[in-house]
Amino acid sequence: MKAMTRRIWYEAGIIFALGVVLGLAVNIQMVIDAFAGRLTSEQPAVTADGKGTDPAGEETGLGIYPVPVLLDEVRELLKTGAVLIDARAVEVYDAGHLPQAVSLPAENLYELLADFVEQVPIDTTLIVYCSGFGCPDSENVAEGLLDEGYTDVRVYEGGFPEWRDSGLAVAKGAP
Amino acid sequence: MAGFRFGGCKGGPVSRSGLYFYHFCRLFLGGLFLYAGVVKASDVTVFARDVANYQLLPYAWNYLVAATFPYVEAVAGLLLVLNFRVRPAALLLALLTLLFMVALASVVARGMDIDCGCFNPGQGHTSAALALLRDVGILVLALLTLRLRSRMLS
Repeated sequence: MKAMTRRIWYEAGIIFALGVVLGLAVNIQMVIDAFAGRLTSEQPAVTADGKGTDPAGEETGLGIYPVPVLLDEVRELLKTGAVLIDARAVEVYDAGHLPQAVSLPAENLYELLADFVEQVPIDTTLIVYCSGFGCPDSENVAEGLLDEGYTDVRVYEGGFPEWRDSGLAVAKGAP
Repeated sequence: MAGFRFGGCKGGPVSRSGLYFYHFCRLFLGGLFLYAGVVKASDVTVFARDVANYQLLPYAWNYLVAATFPYVEAVAGLLLVLNFRVRPAALLLALLTLLFMVALASVVARGMDIDCGCFNPGQGHTSAALALLRDVGILVLALLTLRLRSRMLS
């Protein structure tokens, strides 16, 4: 019985290893680049016109995802010059938003992106938020920003509700 | 009275209902993880983001998990569907489910309401608490499959 149990565990290990090998065979380049730091905000180099040469790994076909951040991290990043982006509808933004946040509604994203890119340098740290956990707008806007060439895009999952409920200052109207 | 002995099964007799129940558990569990693995493997970047939302691993490790775990799920699920190496596959899926449950429990304990990323990563929202409850059922199913198969072969 013990020998049989050992064998089952051994075979489970083999199956696990097989799955890992298969996954690495398909995604090895992505994993290598992730550990080499090539899928973070430290690259690619910014060209003279302010646009990256390989926005969000487009040329290499690799994916960079928007990094989730918590409230404390948001507050620290704001001290270093990060730009807050509100992905909610304009009416909701006007009713109350995080101080200094820029309105970039998910529903109008592609109409507004060109102006945004003109005004905000490509190497800026961006923090996108919307209506809290489960709200997809912040993710959609963040991915749109990555597609435009920004490489340091964070998503503040707690969003406006957590900021407000933490007792932090809230602004209304345009910044 | 002893139950039916079905041809091709080594070991003791198993009742007809027991055999049907075993195959139901095996196919349901195998199909579930095969589907989940394939869906997650189809967009590793989105799944990496979902793993990152748990705030448990360093940045690069989210990619490693996202690149490999779906394939582990798919391989184990396929083995169950094919009725091959059922016990080690069921054991592995039980261990993976237990691991997911620990991660989900940590999310609930930290008050984070993230999407679990279990199926259809990046789409919809299944709360961590609900996913935890669901995983209890999946764990039970995996252990049942393991136990039933062991009885068939004992």
